[in-house]
Amino acid sequence: MNSLTDNALMLKVKAGDLDRMGLLFERHYKPLFGFLYRMTADRESSEDMVQNVFLRMLKYRHTFKGNGEFRTWMYHLARNVLNDHHKGNKRHAAPLAQEPGDVADEAPENTMEEQVHLLNRALNKLSDENREILVLSRYQELAYREIAQILDISEANVRVRIHRAMVQLKSAYLKLAD
Amino acid sequence: MEKIIDYINGELPEHEKRAFEERLALDPELRAACEEEKALWNLMAEIKAPAVNEHIKSRFLDTLQVYKEAAAPRPGFLSRLKEIWNFQPQLKLSYALVLLCVGLGTGLYLNRKNHGEIARMSAEVSEMKQMMVLSLIENPSATERIRAVSMTQEIRNVDDTVIEALLSTLNRDPNDNVRLMTLEALTELADNPKVREGLVQSIVLQTSPIMQSAMADVMLKLQEKRSVKPLQKMLNRDDLNSTVKDKVEQTIQEILI
Repeated sequence: MNSLTDNALMLKVKAGDLDRMGLLFERHYKPLFGFLYRMTADRESSEDMVQNVFLRMLKYRHTFKGNGEFRTWMYHLARNVLNDHHKGNKRHAAPLAQEPGDVADEAPENTMEEQVHLLNRALNKLSDENREILVLSRYQELAYREIAQILDISEANVRVRIHRAMVQLKSAYLKLAD
Repeated sequence: MEKIIDYINGELPEHEKRAFEERLALDPELRAACEEEKALWNLMAEIKAPAVNEHIKSRFLDTLQVYKEAAAPRPGFLSRLKEIWNFQPQLKLSYALVLLCVGLGTGLYLNRKNHGEIARMSAEVSEMKQMMVLSLIENPSATERIRAVSMTQEIRNVDDTVIEALLSTLNRDPNDNVRLMTLEALTELADNPKVREGLVQSIVLQTSPIMQSAMADVMLKLQEKRSVKPLQKMLNRDDLNSTVKDKVEQTIQEILI
């Protein structure tokens, strides 16, 4: 049963075999949590949002066509859930920027740790759009083709946006490191 | 320069990749830029997200179970009868005729009957439903309790006993989904002052973030000024989730406007 592809499982869910959703959850809840956490820096909300994404899959299972990849559909729904979350939190500030320890003079002394700390701060200074594309590419390890489908843009546009986001990240990082 | 990140990501088409590598070999400036970008890309991998709490797996499986049971069609006597019936298509026409006659007869009969009789029957049905709600709402299965709560929406005049049972479920039921459904059902009955009062009193009793947040939504929808005090009291809780806190503060402001 474990050898079934995500698409095959989701098509079974669509046909009424709702138990298969448990296996899809098992396969994807960790990376999905990673994505939501990196976009919000709120652990509890991210856990709630993981549940919401999978509940939406159940609710909107009839819309799953099976011709695209399950993973891109999942991130598509996750972005909608994320948007609703941001709308609910009108006072949404840049994520992670509110994290404790995000003060320059509290940076760890170890060089490697300090670099990671500064880079994390730089990443959180990026706009949601720039951070999102880097998270999808670097942490979710999605191909440009998949990112293009999720964001509903062309692959060429993905290339441009990733390049732009990296330039901004480097500039923010160097500014903090000075 | 734009191609560096695509190269690192393995996203350059084969011919572009070869051309880029040739340039890399000849251009020390490009090589340095590429190394720098690769170092940054690798450093990004060191930023770790916390491990996800394993309990969300069992929480989802519980929810899936409830969802599945609620969505499942209930095969009963009628559906079995239907199956048998499908094997005997020749009887369908005669059945339809009998049904037509019975329908006409019943229509005529009911027309002549006193309207009071119909009202009495409808009241009896309503009373029966209320009794079913009261018995199902104590059931150990969360699905059955959700069924009980949904049933209240079919009752025309919900009496005080049912309202008390719903309020008690809202305050004490261990399952988040059951409490959420109950809140939804009670919101429909919010014209009743007793329900409003019960909802306001329930605010401080809710401890799960999802219920606290839903409570704030309902109070905003009802524009219930009396909820401001208990909502403020909720803000003083040490264990209050920061997202819920923001939302409650916002809700209080919007209610007060």
